[in-house]
Amino acid sequence: MTDFDEICAEAIGIARPLGAAADFIEACRVYLARHKFPENEFSIFFGRLSEALLHRGWHEHAAECAHIAFELRPEEEEIANLCAWVFSNSGRHEDAAAAYERLLEIRPRWAEGHRHASGSLAAAGQLDRAILHAGRASELDPDSFEFAVHAACLCETAGRYEDAVDYLIRAAVIAPGLSTVLRQMSGLKLALQEPDDAVALALRALSLAPGERQNALHAGELLLRTGRFDEAADIIAGSLDRYPRDEVALRLLSAAQMLRGRIEDALQAIDGALLIVPETAEYHLHRANLLYRLGRLDEAAEAFGRAAALDPSNPDAKRSQLTVYFDSGRFTDALAIGGELIRAAPENEEYAQAMLQVLHRRFETLDGDYVVLSDRASRPQREPRPPPGFYKRLRTQGRVIHALIIRETRTRFGDSKLGYGWALLEPIAHILMLSLVFAVMMRGRPPIGEEFFIFYYTGIIPYHMFVHTSSSMTYAISSNGSLLQLPLVGTFDVLMARGLLELLTDTLVAVVLLAGFGALGLGALPQDFAGVSTSVLVVWLLGCGCGFLNAVINAFAKSWDKIWAQLTRLLYFCSGIFYVPGMMPEWIRDILAWNPVLHAVDWFRSSFFHEYEPHWLDRSYLLTFAVVTLLAGLGLERGLQRRLYEPL
Amino acid sequence: MIMLDRVCKSYRTKTGRKTVLDQVSTGFQSGHNFGILGPNGAGKSTLIRLIAGSEPPDSGIVRRFARVSFPLGFGGTFHGALSGRENVAFIARIYGAAIRGTINYVEAFAELGEYFEMPVNTFSAGMRARLAFATCLAIDFDVYLIDEVTEIGDQRFRRRCAEAFRQRMQRADIILVTHNPHTIRQYCDKGAVLANGQLTLHDDIGAALESYHRLLQESA
Repeated sequence: MTDFDEICAEAIGIARPLGAAADFIEACRVYLARHKFPENEFSIFFGRLSEALLHRGWHEHAAECAHIAFELRPEEEEIANLCAWVFSNSGRHEDAAAAYERLLEIRPRWAEGHRHASGSLAAAGQLDRAILHAGRASELDPDSFEFAVHAACLCETAGRYEDAVDYLIRAAVIAPGLSTVLRQMSGLKLALQEPDDAVALALRALSLAPGERQNALHAGELLLRTGRFDEAADIIAGSLDRYPRDEVALRLLSAAQMLRGRIEDALQAIDGALLIVPETAEYHLHRANLLYRLGRLDEAAEAFGRAAALDPSNPDAKRSQLTVYFDSGRFTDALAIGGELIRAAPENEEYAQAMLQVLHRRFETLDGDYVVLSDRASRPQREPRPPPGFYKRLRTQGRVIHALIIRETRTRFGDSKLGYGWALLEPIAHILMLSLVFAVMMRGRPPIGEEFFIFYYTGIIPYHMFVHTSSSMTYAISSNGSLLQLPLVGTFDVLMARGLLELLTDTLVAVVLLAGFGALGLGALPQDFAGVSTSVLVVWLLGCGCGFLNAVINAFAKSWDKIWAQLTRLLYFCSGIFYVPGMMPEWIRDILAWNPVLHAVDWFRSSFFHEYEPHWLDRSYLLTFAVVTLLAGLGLERGLQRRLYEPL
Repeated sequence: MIMLDRVCKSYRTKTGRKTVLDQVSTGFQSGHNFGILGPNGAGKSTLIRLIAGSEPPDSGIVRRFARVSFPLGFGGTFHGALSGRENVAFIARIYGAAIRGTINYVEAFAELGEYFEMPVNTFSAGMRARLAFATCLAIDFDVYLIDEVTEIGDQRFRRRCAEAFRQRMQRADIILVTHNPHTIRQYCDKGAVLANGQLTLHDDIGAALESYHRLLQESA
């Protein structure tokens, strides 16, 4: 036998410079012939040679030698055994399988042989025959865990899940404490569409080895698939406690939290996963979806962009980015993405539709699509305006009241052609009619002066001044509600505007009437012009005071205006308009003297007619009354301003 | 600059008092356009009226260091019986603007045609809005307050409004209330969110929108 070793060593020594296997074999044959080596020993020689070559790492040469040996003596068990070993170690799986099958003909119930043959056949890609041998191996040695698992793996690869499960059951019986088998079986059950069994198995595997990361992830994923989100989250979180830097677990946890509706937590988990592996496109995609659901559109768009950049082959990320841009109104960005999508897939109808939609919206909003952001940088800071001073405020208020008065004259009689003319004609007609009635009824001379018309005139003018002013101001706020929405217009302004307009109107009426009387020859000019004016002004002030009060009261007690209307009617009889208080018994006159309007009428008359100087007339009483009322009215108006009108 | 100093505002509703602002102190800087966001019923319109001065606060002070417009968004200041022309003249008079110039501008901008001489209560809502918009633009304010009206009118009118505002924004600011995130992005560079009696200012419009979306989701 030592000959063989020497010969082999020499043969290898010759072979080294020769390179290619065929040349080497040829060299060996020449060498053997030269040494007159017995031909029946050739197979043994080549067998030994191949073994030696294999040890030296010359796989191809070894395999070729083994091939020659096997062909020379295929029936020899030892040779076949050696060749099978050499073949499978040098990557000649088909040859190895043939050698093992040859061996199995010699030793038919050789379980390990079947296992080897199966392994070689599987490696050679002949799955069906591999499974046959694997099954035979497991049948011959049913207590072998490895054979059963091997057969199961091959069945699983071939898609024969039920057979695989059978083999795994066998393996599980042999090694009941091993969680990997159960986990594998669980996967198969899922493939067989038996999710409940799959989950049960996964949970059993997890209970066998609770610290095993794979078990936790597998169970968690199955629970997620079967809708048991809470349990899944618990299990994955438990695994994360043990292995905190596990991006797969974090991704699963994120999915679980999302499915539980806890988007914020899901976002936190995926952020953690991305800290470990920042370049994973799928994670960015998931994160983007979460951000989108949270309404953080800008960040979502950016995340979709990241995902698309990391995985350019997947158009979904870009498509989603387009949606986000569209939703957040960034049509220019959406347009750019749409362009990319269409360029990548010009035939895709869905992309074309989306693009059309974007174009449509962009066109619709094109009117304002200028960029304010660019203006912002160039816009200089405006000098702050100082708050308006007293004089300026006064001027503004004057302007507002002026505008309001003009507006009142236009709107009071808005529908009629005559417009403001009615404001004059109405009291004129009224006074003329009533004085005609009194003139006819009472006959003879009036208590003062020559003409009844003039007498009645001196009574009704101060009274009207009071009543018109106070009544028209009552409604100033309620009928100008919409105007008060203008920041410059306040309650004081609308009240004052009405009051001033009444002063203007009634003064005009008085002047027009007096001129008219003069033209008719009933003429009588006021003898003390200043006194007449002062009395009218004072009674107007009284009217304003009552007007302010009325407006305030009316805002809180809605029917006050009706009561006020009755009160003014009563005043008509108590103010000495068509009589003089001197005609009354003294006790009645004493009561009537409390009425300030009566003093106003008498003040007006005493200035109009010099001969009329009633002893009960107290000008300071009227003045005091007017000032006090005005102060009270203004004070109340100021204090309750905020509650005087309700927002629209 | 418009400053709110410890401003409180609430109003009565059928279900009780509704607080719009609760001790709010903040400032709207000049040189920026603000978009005000908030859920329905938070009181955005009331806030705009407070800023304008159409309504007084319950307590606290609103200081305006600028000429602030009336809240643009309702035709409420127009008198129905007066013609468009008379209404415009009234507003011009109040603000001390040249009456003829203002009327000419509005007439050209609002494009109401013969309706300009007709009583305003014959107008459609869109025509009223056009009149209001044109009137507001005709007067030279430092800050324009707009309440949900940027969507009004036909496309041509909207485009002209946007163009007019673009020019005006060279020297004036806008405070805008709207639900439309697109409009906010278009006009504003800063945002504010009004909710639960608090007004939160955001330097970035994106942050404001985000906070608003979160708010909506919380309440949903």
